[in-house]
Amino acid sequence: MADSANHVELRGISKRFGTTQAVDDASLAVERGSIHGLVGENGAGKSTIGKIISGVYTADRGSLLVNGRLESFRTPRQAFDAGITTIAQELSLLKDRSVADNVFCGVEAARFGFMSRRGTQRRFASLTSSTGIQLDPAPTAGSLSVAEQQLVEILRAAARGAEFVIMDEPSARLSGTERDQLHRLLREMRERGTTVLLISHFLQEVLDLSDAVTVMRDGRIVRTSNAETETADTLIEAMIGRQLAGNYPPKAMPAQPGQPQQGEPPALRVRGLRRPGLGAQRGLDLDVCSGEIVGLAGLVGAGRTEFVRAVYGADPITEGEIQIAGEPLARPHARALRRPQWRSRLRPTRAIRRGLGLIPESRRDQGLLPDRSLRENISLPHLSRTTKAGIVSRRAERNLVVAAAAGAEVRGGGLETPVHLLSGGNQQKSLFARWMVPGLKVLIADEPTRGVDVGSKRSIYDLIASASGNGLAVLIVSSELEELIGLCHRIVVMRAGQFVAEFSHPDLDEAEILRQAFGGEPTPPSDRQTAEKQ
Amino acid sequence: MNTSPFAALARYGIVWVTLALFVVLAITTDGFLTGPNLRNVLDQQATLLIAASVATLTMIAGGFDVSISAVAVAAPLVALRVENATGSVALALLAGCAFGLVVGTVNGSVVSFAKINSFITTLATSFIVFGIGFLVSDRSILRPKSENYRDIARTRVADLTTATWISLGVVAIAWVTLSATRFGRHVYATGGNIEAAKLAGIRTGRIIVLVFALSGLAAGLAGVVASSRAISATPSDDFSFVFGVIAAIVVGGTSIAGGTGAVWRTLLGALFIAFMVNGFNLHQIDPIWQRIIQGVVILVAVAADAWSRSRRT
Repeated sequence: MADSANHVELRGISKRFGTTQAVDDASLAVERGSIHGLVGENGAGKSTIGKIISGVYTADRGSLLVNGRLESFRTPRQAFDAGITTIAQELSLLKDRSVADNVFCGVEAARFGFMSRRGTQRRFASLTSSTGIQLDPAPTAGSLSVAEQQLVEILRAAARGAEFVIMDEPSARLSGTERDQLHRLLREMRERGTTVLLISHFLQEVLDLSDAVTVMRDGRIVRTSNAETETADTLIEAMIGRQLAGNYPPKAMPAQPGQPQQGEPPALRVRGLRRPGLGAQRGLDLDVCSGEIVGLAGLVGAGRTEFVRAVYGADPITEGEIQIAGEPLARPHARALRRPQWRSRLRPTRAIRRGLGLIPESRRDQGLLPDRSLRENISLPHLSRTTKAGIVSRRAERNLVVAAAAGAEVRGGGLETPVHLLSGGNQQKSLFARWMVPGLKVLIADEPTRGVDVGSKRSIYDLIASASGNGLAVLIVSSELEELIGLCHRIVVMRAGQFVAEFSHPDLDEAEILRQAFGGEPTPPSDRQTAEKQ
Repeated sequence: MNTSPFAALARYGIVWVTLALFVVLAITTDGFLTGPNLRNVLDQQATLLIAASVATLTMIAGGFDVSISAVAVAAPLVALRVENATGSVALALLAGCAFGLVVGTVNGSVVSFAKINSFITTLATSFIVFGIGFLVSDRSILRPKSENYRDIARTRVADLTTATWISLGVVAIAWVTLSATRFGRHVYATGGNIEAAKLAGIRTGRIIVLVFALSGLAAGLAGVVASSRAISATPSDDFSFVFGVIAAIVVGGTSIAGGTGAVWRTLLGALFIAFMVNGFNLHQIDPIWQRIIQGVVILVAVAADAWSRSRRT
């Protein structure tokens, strides 16, 4: 074993998922006993790097060295055995088991297969004293707060003798004091010689804690430098300037962006919207006009998907009003007086009837019926238009579907092909086809080009541009900022459940938008935790 | 993959094997391909087809209804009590069906609103309904007062029994409902991807209540038809009926995971099993072996379904 100062070293690592090059020729050295920050935009490849080191993924190319020795982990278990463990953003505890059970899960104190109660207690006590984390071993993990659950994860890592800990967005769900506690703990771990790879969106946190910082962009390493030489601004500068992978259709400007035609209500109007995690300080207001493309930018967890789902009626709202072309998406006021909860009774049905369509974030989990035909997938929300006395008229349905599929340029199979046989790009287009129907006024697309090849991307952009040219109002959520900049007339930035900034074409400045999205330390909204507990 | 001849063969597998079995039995036995034998097979399958064709909808919507047995036992007891009290066969039939409908609606409501797993829910209500059967019948065999009660199942129309006609009618209604109506589409969507169905504006809770209600109704009707054939009804807590129902659905190729399947598949699945049993008897195969072979056939059917799913991305 070479006596190396580097605990973990990546050399020329590449990893591809389908058509996406998640990590591209990345080289990175993490010094033993340091805290090493890893930053970048959404989808820059940070988490993929973490998962390659911890054995969740195997790299396509390149080599991974641990303690100077070449390793190729095929399972997380092999990485564990090499002293590497991950504490993920989504905690992976057995919620109904006790703290001690969770800590020793997989490394139980047992004799001949029988659990040793006393051995467990002894080990738990020595663990808490060596780490300085005070936790009661008895309660179930599910009864603890998020911060305490994180401590359980850290104890678990310690119980496995982890020397290298990957922390993926550890503070995203913590309040201010909990975060300070975590920072203290991370420094103590470093004191004891543990190496920490810290993946975080909170640039100030990374700068405060880390010895070295690596910036990623588009799956590539931009640079690794001493944290003391960096500021939040220099980090953001390094993250931007992505190569425009696809080119974009020309922007046809509506008469007045953000301003409806005289005497005409905007296609979509949201006023004072609130729900747990959204609009805590101030209810959310947004107008999208006919012919306009508006983008919602922000980091993962900023509340973009939550906002569009609430507008569509998929999730209940606690306050606010939503109008489509001036018509409220809710019951008449007289009934509201009798039923104060009326506002939470919005449903997608009503939104669809008024001309609002949603393309959800995940086409597989929320969009498509994989076993059913393209025809059935497209006509699904519109069957009431093609049904007489309960019976679906095949001719009316066919007419609707043929026009819609042609409008969205779905290829790769006939109308009777089960959609799971289509390519990812055509599956995504079939979701667009679903809304290429007469009477649609507003289309919301959440991550419209996720997992789609470059060619299909361009045709989806063309589709969005031409639909808006025909008077559709479009609201796009995307984690790819360049995509929003390439397509949108206006970009609204979300951070911690609020709209924090708005930019209009041609002043769509990537650095400025990112600065707003990162926004330094996020204010810990007190109601975010109440939302968590529900 | 979809267009390869092998895929087409696999997709309509139940059609080919049922046809093949039919041909083999027609050639190897004297008794199979005769009017009386085939009419008899259909008559024997009537109650199973009534329950299974509607339960296919439940299964496609992602539900699992094991209370079919209990309803089919208790509904005719309720029906015969009404018949004994009023002397009206029509009222008795109505009462039996209504009882099934009520149990099914309760099942569906619990599954839909309390979000309890449908297998557990219907297992629990099964015990309740078996109990109701014992209560209603006072733990004794019930027999109809009027001669007409047996006519529900036993009247002959165009050489087939009314039991057969009723079952063919229910199959036709279930088939059309599933394949041609908006409700049918919503059933597929609910079982195929409930989150996507909700986002497409489908009131999935309502769909779930409805499929369980219909399944209960059909089980009640099946029970009444069975009691009319037997001219009596006995309280019991025998779960075996639902196993035959599920076997027919699954062998036909409807997925227990929901989202795919068809009523014609259940029809063929039921016929396949019936032909198989009929063939065993005609060939005088030991009933012990019949069971074992039946079990293997069901396993093969489920394995084929799982295998075809695992080949997807």
